[in-house]
Amino acid sequence: MNDKILYNTPMNQGRSMVYKLLSSLFAKELDQQLLQELTASQAQAFFAQLASDPLLSQDIETINSELNSTLTSVNTDHALLELAADYCGLFLVGTKHSASPYASFYLNDNAVAKDDVLLFGEQHQQMQTYLKQNQLTVQSEFPEPSDHIAVILAYVAHQACACDDSAQLSFIRQYLHAWLPRFVDRLTSVDTGQFYSAIAHLTLAWVESDCEGLKGAQ
Amino acid sequence: MNRRHFLKGLVATSYVGLSSTSVLAPFNALAAAGTKANDDWLTTGSHFGAFKMKRKNGVIDQVIPFELDKYPTDMINGVKGLVYNPSRVRYPMVRLDFLLKGHKSDTSQRGDFRFVRVTWDKALTLFKDSLDEVQTQYGPSGLHAGQTGWRATGQLHSSTSHMQRAVGMHGNFVKKIGDYSTGAGQTILPYILGSTEVYAQGTSWPLILEQSKTIILWSNDPYKNLQVGWNAETHESFAYLAELKEKVKQGKIRVISIDPVVTKTQKYLGCEQLYVNPQTDVALMLGIAHEMITSKLHDEKFIEGYSLGFDRFVPYILGESDSVAKTPEWASKITGVSPEIIRDLAKVMTKGRTQIMMGWCIQRQQHGEQPYWMAAVLATMIGQIGLPGGGISYGHHYSSIGVPSSGAAAPGAFPRNLDEGQKPLFDSNDFKGASSTIPIARWIDAILEPGKTIDANGAKVTYPDIKMMVFSGNNPWSHHQDRNKMKQAFQKLECVVTVDINWTATCRFSDIVLPACTTFERNDIDVYGSYANRGVLAMQKMVEPLFDSLSDFDIFTRFAKIMGKETEYTRGMSEFDWIKKLYNDCKADNAGKFDMPNFDTFWKQGYVHFGEGQPWTRHADFRDDPEMNPLGTPSGLIEIFSRKIAQFNYDDCPGHPTWIEKSERSHGGPGSDKYPMWMQSCHPDKRLHSQMCESQQYRETYTVQGREPVYLNPTDAKQRGIKDGDVVRVFNDRGQLLAGAVVSDSFPTGVIRIHEGAWYGPVGKDGAKQGGSEIGALCSYGDPNTLTQDIGTSKLAQACSAYTCLVDFEKYQGKLPDVSSFNGPIETQL
Amino acid sequence: MKWFINTWRTLNQPAKYLTLGTISLSAFLMGIIFWGGFNTALEMTNTEEFCISCHSMESKPYQELQQTVHWSNHSGVRATCPDCHVPHNWSRKIGRKIEASHDMWGWLMQTVNTEEKFESKRLEMASREWKRFDRDNSLACKNCHNYDSMKWDDMSKLAQKQMKRAAEIDQSCVDCHKGIAHKLPDMGTSRAPELIAQVGSGETGLVVGAQYFTALTKPLYFNQKTDVEAGTLNIATKVTVLEINGSRVLVGINGWRKKIGAGRVIYFDFGLNILSAQLSKDAALEEGVMNVFEQKEDPMTGLTWQRVEAKIWTDADYLINDLQPLWDYARTTYTRSCSVCHTQPAEAHFDANSWPGMFKGMIAFVNMDQDTQALVQKYLQEHSSTFDKSAH
Repeated sequence: MNDKILYNTPMNQGRSMVYKLLSSLFAKELDQQLLQELTASQAQAFFAQLASDPLLSQDIETINSELNSTLTSVNTDHALLELAADYCGLFLVGTKHSASPYASFYLNDNAVAKDDVLLFGEQHQQMQTYLKQNQLTVQSEFPEPSDHIAVILAYVAHQACACDDSAQLSFIRQYLHAWLPRFVDRLTSVDTGQFYSAIAHLTLAWVESDCEGLKGAQ
Repeated sequence: MNRRHFLKGLVATSYVGLSSTSVLAPFNALAAAGTKANDDWLTTGSHFGAFKMKRKNGVIDQVIPFELDKYPTDMINGVKGLVYNPSRVRYPMVRLDFLLKGHKSDTSQRGDFRFVRVTWDKALTLFKDSLDEVQTQYGPSGLHAGQTGWRATGQLHSSTSHMQRAVGMHGNFVKKIGDYSTGAGQTILPYILGSTEVYAQGTSWPLILEQSKTIILWSNDPYKNLQVGWNAETHESFAYLAELKEKVKQGKIRVISIDPVVTKTQKYLGCEQLYVNPQTDVALMLGIAHEMITSKLHDEKFIEGYSLGFDRFVPYILGESDSVAKTPEWASKITGVSPEIIRDLAKVMTKGRTQIMMGWCIQRQQHGEQPYWMAAVLATMIGQIGLPGGGISYGHHYSSIGVPSSGAAAPGAFPRNLDEGQKPLFDSNDFKGASSTIPIARWIDAILEPGKTIDANGAKVTYPDIKMMVFSGNNPWSHHQDRNKMKQAFQKLECVVTVDINWTATCRFSDIVLPACTTFERNDIDVYGSYANRGVLAMQKMVEPLFDSLSDFDIFTRFAKIMGKETEYTRGMSEFDWIKKLYNDCKADNAGKFDMPNFDTFWKQGYVHFGEGQPWTRHADFRDDPEMNPLGTPSGLIEIFSRKIAQFNYDDCPGHPTWIEKSERSHGGPGSDKYPMWMQSCHPDKRLHSQMCESQQYRETYTVQGREPVYLNPTDAKQRGIKDGDVVRVFNDRGQLLAGAVVSDSFPTGVIRIHEGAWYGPVGKDGAKQGGSEIGALCSYGDPNTLTQDIGTSKLAQACSAYTCLVDFEKYQGKLPDVSSFNGPIETQL
Repeated sequence: MKWFINTWRTLNQPAKYLTLGTISLSAFLMGIIFWGGFNTALEMTNTEEFCISCHSMESKPYQELQQTVHWSNHSGVRATCPDCHVPHNWSRKIGRKIEASHDMWGWLMQTVNTEEKFESKRLEMASREWKRFDRDNSLACKNCHNYDSMKWDDMSKLAQKQMKRAAEIDQSCVDCHKGIAHKLPDMGTSRAPELIAQVGSGETGLVVGAQYFTALTKPLYFNQKTDVEAGTLNIATKVTVLEINGSRVLVGINGWRKKIGAGRVIYFDFGLNILSAQLSKDAALEEGVMNVFEQKEDPMTGLTWQRVEAKIWTDADYLINDLQPLWDYARTTYTRSCSVCHTQPAEAHFDANSWPGMFKGMIAFVNMDQDTQALVQKYLQEHSSTFDKSAH
């Protein structure tokens, strides 16, 4: 309880918010409500603020503008469905032609090439253990293995306000950053649209800058 | 700006109003109590065998054979790979263009196109709307929900029963008659031997082992095919095969495998092989019959007392009716078997007790009725039908046939049909002059040529104009012939709905795909031991349904709910109520005969064992008294000549067994100058049809460079510059595929084998992932039905003729495309 | 009491000729005429005392009832015979009374006067009662046990789940609760118990010259006395009763036989392999049993067939007036049992002579006793394309 108060700083709340947003973007297809929120002026301010991250190593402006142009072009239900089809093709089927959102597909040596990873494998088990230790569980409405990127990002969002920087840093490095670049590469190479590539790049850029931040704070 | 300020600024933008809830929630220890992550062994069963499983942290961990299965197959090692397969259908999905345009969608996209996830309610509502539209626009002849397949084991969740009951509550639809496995056999044999024979219990193995002197395995590979069974298999036949192996070794029983290839069984038993040119078995049998007649080896008394029409058949054998005597010399030219061997075979078969065991492949060819009929005639001439260890059987390679039955009653099943008095929402039975039932393998023809009338088994069948197909636990994009013809047909369909566990090709060619959970994610009940009916097995749920999948029971209960018929559908009973009912009904049926404990004890124990059965001889009652125990033929006797068939006047199935040339035949037959190789596509050794093909680690125990093996003779391979392990392109005018070469002298020249059930994985030109939906696309994995012919066996059975297929092959020189079969639909952008 | 029994006997006698409606009408008229006496009698027959006045009721079901919670419980409410077995609704009650005349007959005929006889008939009697409960949706139970007044909270979780579901569809209580007031019959040893429960075990006063159908496969005998069997009479076969002698009847079986072997097998019609009866060799050759008429050749097989009439003895039981209940039972069984593995073919998909071959080949996985198998096969044959031309 004390820890929670100790780590629940405005700064960590900000970080947590970013992780939570990214988690929700990977967790399910964009719906009308989320789309409206993402294109509202508040969100614009948020993204503008995000782009001012002094540690962002990549050109967040480009990512943001891509994101914005995609989002503003999604002005019909049809366009939203096209995005949903992108999402489905990337994250909800198979492995060969998709960007499986599971850590286990990237952490087992050259798994993408070998393509023989089973769902609910070792990384799922590890994440289950972490979640249990922190009195957390995956929502039943999200019936995915626990090594899904949305679960890991949500877990980091939770940890941001609940434990010290070094613990966070080591978790992020070991369970997220360890495979995120490969995931992003994969996603970019198979994505037929731009939106999820942009989100993936944003995620990578953010995670890298956050790692820098966490490292610097130590 | 430093990071602290930056982050604070982020909070200041107050973008905390993110509507989405976190994917994480506080762990509720209370709610989770009672769900044990690790526990004791649980019992379940599958076509591959009954087995036990143990979980670790809620995930299936170990799999071991059921204690009463003494000959388990290694296929159970593939089970984990089936459940946790990346190609699981995870959520209900709809093809995007179908979602947008419904029945007016661009159907040429089917095969590898964009899907979107929808909720169950949305998917099932779309499903019902489509059915509404078809019933309203076209009536029942527009809907074919009768194309059914092997499903998974379990009497409650049987996928075809659920689908047909639910769809049947909506409206009537086109159904099928027959099946792909034995279509020709089950149609011809009732006319000849008075029963379909192929699915009937056969003479018990102990009697065969005791009495037979000679066993003829004709195109039959029991050691391979007995690995899988219709129910939870416990492989008792293998004990008898082991005994047979011993007797062969001791010289007590002579086993002759008549087959173009060296079979797995032949290798196991160490028995003799008699090579015969592919598709020429009837000619060989006629040659044997000629020798029997001219040397008076046949049993005239038996023929006289138990059969009809021999007198009308003899002139054909002697060449009096068609001026071609079917002498061993004549047969030799066609079959490649020397006249001496044919003569010797006639002697061997008529001397001492001879059991003929026919396999099924031989009837999956053009005129597939003929070898089954002619073999029955040979058995009649030998005169041992009805004697233990003699006569003929058509099923000793299937589902424990020949293992003495316990005699107990098996549990029933969830009803496939509507209950008495129930009426569908659309109760029209107006098929608009078309047939409501069509021969199973003719549905693609029907889609392509609606309104056409064909002959089938003495009747006329008029093809209905099919607009919508519903499949459940069934993969016709594996078992039907000629993929490219199928693609054309599927473009004509307005809506295709498929329920399955993994992304089969059938799912990819569908508009609405619904995720069923595997057998291991639900509770059920089944027989174990298949035809032996050795006991009842508790099929205990291992894990909760993965992702958004549901059991067949739940899927169609929800569907019924949308129709306002939930209680009608379930009779107000839950999954467990039904299992209890099926068990208790079975217990009542067996009362006084077989003791069955109460349900709870049974469920805890995992099984009820009925014990051994009594050895039994097929057709012994008929032999004992043919008048009182007549066969189910028109005359009650064996019909060597069938007047009934003769009066159909079919040129491709006359009144007695006849040698008829095939449309394609290797070894000098028609078409062999262009495509010299005969391709056999028999049942796989390491799968049940297409089931288990997706299980990757297990698949890798037999694939070659990730492809399905193609078995080649060394000479044929060398001629084409191919060595073991190469990727080979196999082709003919109908299609092309890639497969991995296994060079083996078990296969003669001019013969190649690719096991059916290899998942179809079309790719575009030069291996491009796009373009798989195009006609003529290369199959990247090796589905032999890319190459087979889609024609009926004859006007009689109209069954599938996959075995009448010529091809050629070459070393594949292009850039190797990725195998596209196992990864769900391929994302394609217009 | 005797006058009463006699009255009902008289009423019961013509039941072979009269429909239930006419009987009810006579009952109604009699009711008007003997209004006072009738009503009194009716009331009297509704007492427990009346029920157990017959020995077979007192010694078995009544004794068994006393062992159950319906007899003795902490609330002190007791259910007696009429509470469960007499409908509370008047027209149903009268209907039940008319049915019950059968029991009187049974009492007179001493059908269940020994332990063995009672046990042998137990299932049949119980089945009839269950069917009655089904028809009333267990109304008799629900007079005391009302779904609406059940206290769910006092039930176990499992009981709650099951009872709530039953309540939702107002399920008949005996669907699940059988054998709670009397011993549960042995369901396993009698022949085709479900079938017999549905079609009955035969008419009671058979009439010479009338036609009946067999409700089971029945043994044939050389004469009215001997136990030496002379063959079997297939299920769902039409016979004419020619003579009645005690518990045996002489029946005439019309049909055709193939001129092969001893000509022992009688089929339904010329050229159709629909089995009617099989005689033993001796019986077929016995003087006067098999009368042979004209003959002709079946073009489909080349066999010669002869029209025959066999006159032979069988037991007087399991002969029923109407074929339809047998077909109804067969259709239900076929639809259920033959769809376990695959879609069952339509009846008219095959002709009469093709069905035996199809049916025999597929029977391995089907749970049917011999009688039911024979019945279903016959049902399929007689509803095949040979008779129903609407197929295809």
